[in-house]
Amino acid sequence: MPLETPARIVRELARHGYNAEREAVTLIAGAADPGTTLARAVEHAGPDAFRVTAADVRAVLDADANATDAAVSDPTPTDAESATQASNASASQASNASASRTSNPSTSTATSADTTTATETTGPPETGGSWNGRNPDRSLRSLEIENDMTGQSTGTGEYGDFVKVFKDRYEKLSRQLRGRVNHRPAEAIQSMSGGSDAAMVGLVNDIRSTASGHWLVELEDTTGTFPCLVMKDREFASAVDELLMDECIAVEGTLSGDAGIMFVDSMYSPDVPRTYKPNTADRDVQAALISDVHVGSQEFMAEAWHRFTDWLHTQEAERVEYLLVAGDMVEGVGVYPNQDEELDIVDIYDQYEQFAEHLKEVPGDIEIVMIPGNHDAVRLAEPQPGFDDRLRDIMDVHDARIVSNPSMVTLEGVKVLMYHGVSLDEVIAELPAESASYDEPHKAMYQLLKKRHVAPQYGGHTRLAPEEKDYLVMEEVPDIFHTGHVHKLGWGKYHNVLAVNSGCWQSQTDFQKSVNIDPDSGYAPIVDLDTLDMTVRKFA
Amino acid sequence: MHEDDERYFARIEDRLDEAFDRARAAKGQGRDPQPEVEIPVAKDMADRVENILGIPGVAERVRELEGQMSREEAALELVNDFVEGSVGDYDSRAGKVEGAVRTAVALLTEGVVAAPIEGIDRVEILENDDGTEFVNVYYAGPIRSAGGTAQALSVLVADFARSLLGIEEYKARDIEVERYAEEVALYDKETGLQYSPKDKETKFIAEHMPIMLDGEATGDEEVSGFRDLERVDTNSARGGMCLVMAEGIALKAPKIQRYTRQLDEVDWPWLQDLIDGTYYEGGGADDGDGDGDEDDAAEDADAADETPEDAVEDAPEPAGPARVDPASKYLRDLIAGRPVFGHPSEAGGFRLRYGRSRNHGFATAGVHPATMHLVDDFLATGTQIKTERPGKAGGVIPVDSIEGPTVRLANGDVRRIDDPEEALKVRNGVEKILDLGEYLVNFGEFVENNHPLAPASYVYEWWVQEFESAGAPVQALEDDPRIDLEHPTAEQAFEWATEYDCHLHPDYTYLWHDITVDEFETLADAAAGGRVVESDGGVVLEPDDADSTDGVLELDRTEELTRLLEHLLVEHTQTDETLRIPEWRLFARSLGLTASLEMTWDDLSAEARQWAGGDNAVKAVTEVAPFDVRERAPTRIGNRMGRPEKSESRDLSPAVHTLFPISEMGGNQRDVGEAARARNEQGVRGELNALVGDRECPDCGAHTFKNRCPDCETHTEPHYECEECGTVVEPDESGRVFCERCEREVESPDWFSIDLSTELRSALENVGERESSYPILKGVKGLTSANKTPEAIEKGILRAKHGVSSFKDGTVRYDMTDLPVTSVRPAELDVSVDHFRELGYETDIDGEPLRFDDQLVELKVQDIVLSDGAAQHMLKTADFVDDLLSKFYGLEPFYDVEERDDLIGELVFGMAPHTSAAVVGRVVGFTSAAVGYAHPYFHAAKRRNCDGDEDCVMLLMDGLLNFSKEFLPDKRGGQMDAPLVMSSRIDPSEIDDEAHNMDIVRQYPEAFYEASLEMADPGEVENLIQLGEDTLGTDDEYRGFDHTHDTTDIALGPDLSAYKTLGSMMDKMDAQLELARKLRAVDETDVAERVIEGHFLPDLIGNLRAFSRQETRCLDCGEKYRRMPLTGDCRECGGRVNLTVHQGSVNKYMDVAIEVAEEFGCRDYTKQRLEVLEKSLESVFENDKNKASKLGDFM
Repeated sequence: MPLETPARIVRELARHGYNAEREAVTLIAGAADPGTTLARAVEHAGPDAFRVTAADVRAVLDADANATDAAVSDPTPTDAESATQASNASASQASNASASRTSNPSTSTATSADTTTATETTGPPETGGSWNGRNPDRSLRSLEIENDMTGQSTGTGEYGDFVKVFKDRYEKLSRQLRGRVNHRPAEAIQSMSGGSDAAMVGLVNDIRSTASGHWLVELEDTTGTFPCLVMKDREFASAVDELLMDECIAVEGTLSGDAGIMFVDSMYSPDVPRTYKPNTADRDVQAALISDVHVGSQEFMAEAWHRFTDWLHTQEAERVEYLLVAGDMVEGVGVYPNQDEELDIVDIYDQYEQFAEHLKEVPGDIEIVMIPGNHDAVRLAEPQPGFDDRLRDIMDVHDARIVSNPSMVTLEGVKVLMYHGVSLDEVIAELPAESASYDEPHKAMYQLLKKRHVAPQYGGHTRLAPEEKDYLVMEEVPDIFHTGHVHKLGWGKYHNVLAVNSGCWQSQTDFQKSVNIDPDSGYAPIVDLDTLDMTVRKFA
Repeated sequence: MHEDDERYFARIEDRLDEAFDRARAAKGQGRDPQPEVEIPVAKDMADRVENILGIPGVAERVRELEGQMSREEAALELVNDFVEGSVGDYDSRAGKVEGAVRTAVALLTEGVVAAPIEGIDRVEILENDDGTEFVNVYYAGPIRSAGGTAQALSVLVADFARSLLGIEEYKARDIEVERYAEEVALYDKETGLQYSPKDKETKFIAEHMPIMLDGEATGDEEVSGFRDLERVDTNSARGGMCLVMAEGIALKAPKIQRYTRQLDEVDWPWLQDLIDGTYYEGGGADDGDGDGDEDDAAEDADAADETPEDAVEDAPEPAGPARVDPASKYLRDLIAGRPVFGHPSEAGGFRLRYGRSRNHGFATAGVHPATMHLVDDFLATGTQIKTERPGKAGGVIPVDSIEGPTVRLANGDVRRIDDPEEALKVRNGVEKILDLGEYLVNFGEFVENNHPLAPASYVYEWWVQEFESAGAPVQALEDDPRIDLEHPTAEQAFEWATEYDCHLHPDYTYLWHDITVDEFETLADAAAGGRVVESDGGVVLEPDDADSTDGVLELDRTEELTRLLEHLLVEHTQTDETLRIPEWRLFARSLGLTASLEMTWDDLSAEARQWAGGDNAVKAVTEVAPFDVRERAPTRIGNRMGRPEKSESRDLSPAVHTLFPISEMGGNQRDVGEAARARNEQGVRGELNALVGDRECPDCGAHTFKNRCPDCETHTEPHYECEECGTVVEPDESGRVFCERCEREVESPDWFSIDLSTELRSALENVGERESSYPILKGVKGLTSANKTPEAIEKGILRAKHGVSSFKDGTVRYDMTDLPVTSVRPAELDVSVDHFRELGYETDIDGEPLRFDDQLVELKVQDIVLSDGAAQHMLKTADFVDDLLSKFYGLEPFYDVEERDDLIGELVFGMAPHTSAAVVGRVVGFTSAAVGYAHPYFHAAKRRNCDGDEDCVMLLMDGLLNFSKEFLPDKRGGQMDAPLVMSSRIDPSEIDDEAHNMDIVRQYPEAFYEASLEMADPGEVENLIQLGEDTLGTDDEYRGFDHTHDTTDIALGPDLSAYKTLGSMMDKMDAQLELARKLRAVDETDVAERVIEGHFLPDLIGNLRAFSRQETRCLDCGEKYRRMPLTGDCRECGGRVNLTVHQGSVNKYMDVAIEVAEEFGCRDYTKQRLEVLEKSLESVFENDKNKASKLGDFM
């Protein structure tokens, strides 16, 4: 096989089960016969080694002296071809998104076009000598994880555990709202006299429409419940459509004559402050946000994946130093009936092995963070702890960080909330189409940001595992909110927070066809951490 | 009609009149909601159809057509009348189609069910995208009660009307096709379909359907993909449409095809593809998909290779015998605890034998009673089995005139067991069930299912006809006392086979088709090297000793030889070194050996070698043996257990003695006594408020909720007073009560304060009972009927005293699985022959005078046999009715029964669910089997077949006295399962025509058996065998139901299936898997997989899901919370709130599922699914920081 590019060399090494030092790859690429050099280098490294080092290659090359002088061989096609395919398809998404510069389609196309031009004028990087492969300064990096509950699951499925979770939710979110209204406990309001002004912060316990078309919202706090009536002609009445059960809101209003009900005058969500100033990195560095790889599925798009990892080895991707994977690494087993008939890899462990192989194609220096999704072999109930030791051992490539779903990952100061996104289905089903739809998944994410909770509604689609606290609350405002799950690409900014739903690496399945879902497959959103600008690249 | 048939019906009607007289006298007293008997006697079916539809002229036309054609054809013929306008008064084209469709459904359901009116909402004419018009039929949920055939035919009728009216076909848009597929799958998931078509199948139907199927939304669950379509006005599943699509068109395609072929105007060529399953793009074998289809497709390909046409170039001869394709559909949705008896067409499974036993036909399967015992009693009389063919399911009946199972005992002996007693004796020593024995299916079953005949087993009744055709003096041999034609000696069999050039007698024909040619050669060599010894194994004999009856063939034992003998079903015994075959002479001959075990052949011809690819040694036998053999058992039928048989009283839950409302005061038990003693909220004892019908006394004008005025004892009438304006309104002709002024419906119920303690006391006094007469008297919380008319408490007191309870309509019912029987012996029914003669039975089936208890008598059509349990229950009911008559109505008792024998000759109602008409039956005997045996026509009159269906019997007088429409719930479906009308006399042409396809002959002709080898269409041989339909409308329509096979008793084998006698689900499943290991025809790993996939995994997954989104409930006041209250405690009462789904219920099957998967070597995929689930459970229920330690941690 011809081994012209570093990317192919890396993939070939990966196929042999090895990682490689950057320098080793450069050396192999420069060899007269890269194929043979690689094979010998692998031999030299031995079966127990994990990575092929520059020393291994040198040993081989030294032994075969005539190889060195043929360093610069014929010009090879660049990997620019993958970059030139960068998304135009996303234009339609982008036009729907907010007008922020990030999502402007012209920006994204322009970026890739510029890059392409640049590489063409300077010639192929590996031959021109102007670029010597990835050479990041790791000391500049920082990566911190918060809210990871892996190994911290203390719930034992008791009634009390559930109560604790909801109490914790109420405490954390009501804190966000206390400043805005003068909260009185439900118990206190119950004993107030008719006609008085009142305000309350509570979890939505029930939403009903009355016979005359008004909305009756029952709020609950730690003392009891109180019914609040939103008249249909109030300007914020439409906001009731966007309410979900068990989210936390605050209301202000007047009690009825018999003090049995509150007429709502205003309604607040915890929300992200309009003026929120997101954190940014101090340098020009990027993160790739992907999800839903679905290795093992017959529809997994291996070619697109290869193009993506090839691209990561190019100069164009030089600044990409972080890779975040928001769940569904593999297709899993038993996710739906008769799934085995549609699996390419039936064995769950083989699926992860294969995923690990694919992960090896990613440049070794890139920092990787992964959370599980609903197809992964962990519990479905949220929060989902990161993988167990057996799966971690399989995926130990690049020392990827495997944390729970959801987790807050801070990359050089930029807070990225990673959540797989199962609740999006419910948000989309419950809310009106203009507030959330599969075509604009980021709008559903705005709703979650507004509610400051990744999966508010209990008892429906989303499953809850009770833990000592509610890990699903967004206590801190993230700078980037990254989800997947719905296999649709969409991004936009909500109160300056970048919301990204990152598409998938699986082509349309029979099931998706049967329910009319057309997935966005083979896209990789790339975020500039210093500006929070985003470019979407298409590899399919 | 024959004179004695006349007499028979007259007897029934006389007794009916007697009962009516007494009932009228009782009802006339005005103590009931109506002062008359509320079950009218219906004249005929045409009347019922016209009345139910309200279309004048239908009855007359139906009567006219009935004589000339089948009901389906009449339904199609009526389409012409509707289109022309000669029947029905419709102006619009849509109306004409609608009338025709409704009439068709009413006709096909004998005017018995509500489907024609409630199941079809409307028909409309809409526009295609190309501007042409099409017909849209709008179905509703109750179309279910019409059944698949009528549903499917309603579509055909609509299409026929469409073509006559010159309307174009419906051209479905792509999104509509996809919607059908999504919707049918959704409905199947939410509600469940009898048959679940695959998406491809649904789409194929939708693409080709010439009319649009539409309907009312029936569920809350919505489709997620194809929503808000222009021509579909709901996003929910349309239940009626889904039923018609799946259980109608998809399931009944072969049946519709019979009728489309008769119509020139209608052409549905795609039905053939649907039936063949070749609805994938290219069709044919290469497109197979999914489990069953893949097998089918592969088999198709094999079959194609082997047909003469394709094989012409290679060989001039057919390369193998015809075989049916294995079908695995019946294995779907396998249930834990209900065993599989055979995998599809697997050797060792049931062997198909054609014939009808006297308790057989009409979706039943004849199984040897020894088999029933050997499958660990899982099969009993009446147990339902899901079967590979010809139908889908059948009720098991015992037949001991067929061959029993063959087993290998722990000592290695292989024996066929033909005696149930012996089966019980050896059962514990059975190591392997090598063969399940024969499986009797009647020819009519193939006709009914339009299933090609499967190659027949070679059996005595076939052989003897061949023998006669070959010129043998069969009659003389039959008369010869020294000769047993059915079980001859080896010498005789050899002589007959060689002398008359007839096939070898089936007794000596082994299953040569189950071994390969190579194995045949091995066996022949081994046999040639064997020796003949004394049966005790001592002395070696010369094989050709004069006395050839002595001696057994002894072979050196090898594993292969053992296996081959087992597969051939050659009975033998084993020692450590040898195999001994007692009956060896014809076995040796079949192997081409002489009587002195010398090989007579060197090599086999190419033809014999290549026959069926070398996998079938029959040709080899024919070539080397001095006689010809037929294939002994070419068709194996796989099956599994469906529902267990049933025989139990129908009780509401909780049981109800009286339909009298006692609100919440009776506690969970609805105890009337407790309610009468309890204090209400005001602290008053025994007084309660209840919503009951307001009735007015026509004489004194008093208002009461009682049926009889407490003051002047006059019967009261419901009183309708408009709530808004106070006007008193009378019901109009249709029974509607409407206030013209306020434009609203008026109802009679009102709140009454009832002094229950006084009511109860006076009721007890009225019937002279005390509270100690009964253990408990249960009432109801409230009434659900339109007028909320309560029943007299006295009736409940007497029911409670006699230990019977009431159904929602006031009747006492007993449920039994239906089974057919056409001839009976008085002895097996526990009835004396004298008694039988009193019932009007005079001769046996051969026309001999009836003198002995064990003579076989042909059963009359309305005679039924009660199970022991039913008889007990009817006795109690009779006592209740007598008490009621004498103590409540003050009349003479009607039954005066002391023992169950007194019930003989009494009349009962038979009544099936989803119908509204009862059929009068007469009790003629009792059986220990837990089923209701009756004439097949009796079951068919109730619209039941016998594939595990169950329905109820009621005592005649109980129905007449206690049934009232006033008690029926006021909601859709409320009229179902209530005797709104009764048929006193069965007209064989007005019953479900399934029953007409039962064959009624004593012998199937030779030509039939031969046709089966060609897998002929049943239609091709229908004229050879008389069916019930052949005698319809003749004098013989009530008689001459002959059978080909007898059985000693209709209640052989276990009385109850092990499924019912085993305790927990775990016990049942253990027994199921244990049996799977024992049966040669069953792949136990597959069973384990299916149980895990179908039972454990859904249970685990479902419970885990339920856990993480569960409701909670207050332990003290029962208040439910969607989510845990933030206060932790109950907001209503401050009590303790707790989960509704606990850890224990989530993981109860986890360990056992893992164990089973391990033990039975399930696939890694299954094991890994369990593993992932187990980890999920741990993750949810275990504290990471405080893990429960396991034994493994210390190893």
